[in-house]
Amino acid sequence: MCRSGRQPDPHEAGGNDAGNAAFAALLEDSAEELYETAPCGYLSTLMDGTIAKINATLLGWLGLERSAVVGRMRFTDLLTVGGRLYHETHFAPLLRMQGEIGGIALEIRGAEGVRIPVLVSSAVKYGGEGEPLLIRTTVFDARDRRSYEEELLRRKREAEAAREQAEAAREQAETDRVRLQEALATLQQSLLPDVLPDVPGLEAAAHYHTASPERLGGDFYDLFAVDGKRWAFFLGDVCGKGPQAAAVTSLTRYTLRAAALHDPDPVAALSTLNAVLHERYTGGDPRYCTAVFGLLEPDPATGQVAVRIAAGGHPPAVVLRADGRADFLPTPGGLLVGILSDPRFVSASTVLAPGDTLLLYTDGLTEARTGEDRATLYGDQALLGFAAGQAGKPARDVIRALTGLLDDFGDGLDDDTALLALGVPAHPAPDPVTKNAR
Amino acid sequence: MSPLKITTRNAATGPVLEVTGDLDYASAGGLRELLPTLALRPGQRLVVDLAGLEFCDSSGITALIAARNHAHAARADVALAAVPGNTLRILRVVGLDQILPIHPDSETATRS
Repeated sequence: MCRSGRQPDPHEAGGNDAGNAAFAALLEDSAEELYETAPCGYLSTLMDGTIAKINATLLGWLGLERSAVVGRMRFTDLLTVGGRLYHETHFAPLLRMQGEIGGIALEIRGAEGVRIPVLVSSAVKYGGEGEPLLIRTTVFDARDRRSYEEELLRRKREAEAAREQAEAAREQAETDRVRLQEALATLQQSLLPDVLPDVPGLEAAAHYHTASPERLGGDFYDLFAVDGKRWAFFLGDVCGKGPQAAAVTSLTRYTLRAAALHDPDPVAALSTLNAVLHERYTGGDPRYCTAVFGLLEPDPATGQVAVRIAAGGHPPAVVLRADGRADFLPTPGGLLVGILSDPRFVSASTVLAPGDTLLLYTDGLTEARTGEDRATLYGDQALLGFAAGQAGKPARDVIRALTGLLDDFGDGLDDDTALLALGVPAHPAPDPVTKNAR
Repeated sequence: MSPLKITTRNAATGPVLEVTGDLDYASAGGLRELLPTLALRPGQRLVVDLAGLEFCDSSGITALIAARNHAHAARADVALAAVPGNTLRILRVVGLDQILPIHPDSETATRS
């Protein structure tokens, strides 16, 4: 728009009358008129910056009279402090070196102290000997462009802020997830004993298979001393999954522990648990569990351990004998714990001789799917066969073998599974008296 | 997996629920939510017909217990009919066969 002259375009010149008239009107716009009122500022300065000529457009922006400017002010006087500094350090040196410079963003001090962002281009006019004569400068109003850029910047900052916010939310979610998983793991651990206690003349081993770290399991087991001569154990499965099931599991575990200290008889312990669960959960949201509870009484004289168990709704325990047999220790008819106010629990007894092991498990083991079909399950008889293969081995080895079996089920095992083996070592420890005197 | 479908009909003895498909963790809520909507009068018998049951897990068992509790709260009776073999096995393990009357089919179960 700042070109001071224009050659007629041959195509336009050859156009119709209306076109010619418009073109003529354009030609009437004298070079002087164009210079003064062009939509950009013009000024010419001496090499020292003194303003020699300036157009009306720029004077209008500056709010200055021509007489106050020409010969009295330098180009830098029009600039803001920041603009002046930039002019001294970058603009002027580059211009001297290159003879021209274009599109530099500066700020001029406009009328009434308003700062006007501008884009400045300058070119040096040289004389016949190549000596610099003067500097011609155009000044473009960049206010619209600046506000556009600022808008862009603002949007960019907003997008950046939103991105940071999303990132922070994501990190928070991740932190929460880790914290929740830690809390769940801690809760899960609180439902199981850290270590199994030493029981004289008995080796105990346990394994807990967690189907999913997100879904708290409802299986539980424990082994603890009742008095100087007797130990109690239990293992079971609370119906359902998740926090509600875990709450029942916790209630179950501590109720059985307390009940055993009060009366370690297995039927009495399960009856106490039944009363607690039945009172707590009734009606449309029944909560119950299966459980086997047992009492161990080692006989130091014979090395045998007398076992009495009671069970409610729980798959039968397996006894592995030193001679290679494996049998169920049935407790038929024992009802799920917590669904009736007056349930029946059935007890059974056996004696574990050296080499014998009592195996307790939850139904995750026997209900593991072994085929494509949901109904093709591992089952009791397969377990009995597997157990017979482990008979005579130490409790630790029995648990290790069963853990391997659980691993082999792969995706077929989609339930939590608890295993507890209580075995009388075939060859007693060399000095059990010293060991148990602690 | 087969979707759970429950059809309600009325017999001389009271409502009969025909349960078909899978009664499991995902679906058992359907049976439990249906219970409070049943018109069950004192002395009637709620019959749960399991002839079309294909799979039942512990959540399904819970729903059956909820059905029993619901019937007893209404001073009504409850009975299961046509329980498939694998579910019957589970009911025996958990002792429920002692507290839930089990009939070979819904015809027997609805005979007053």
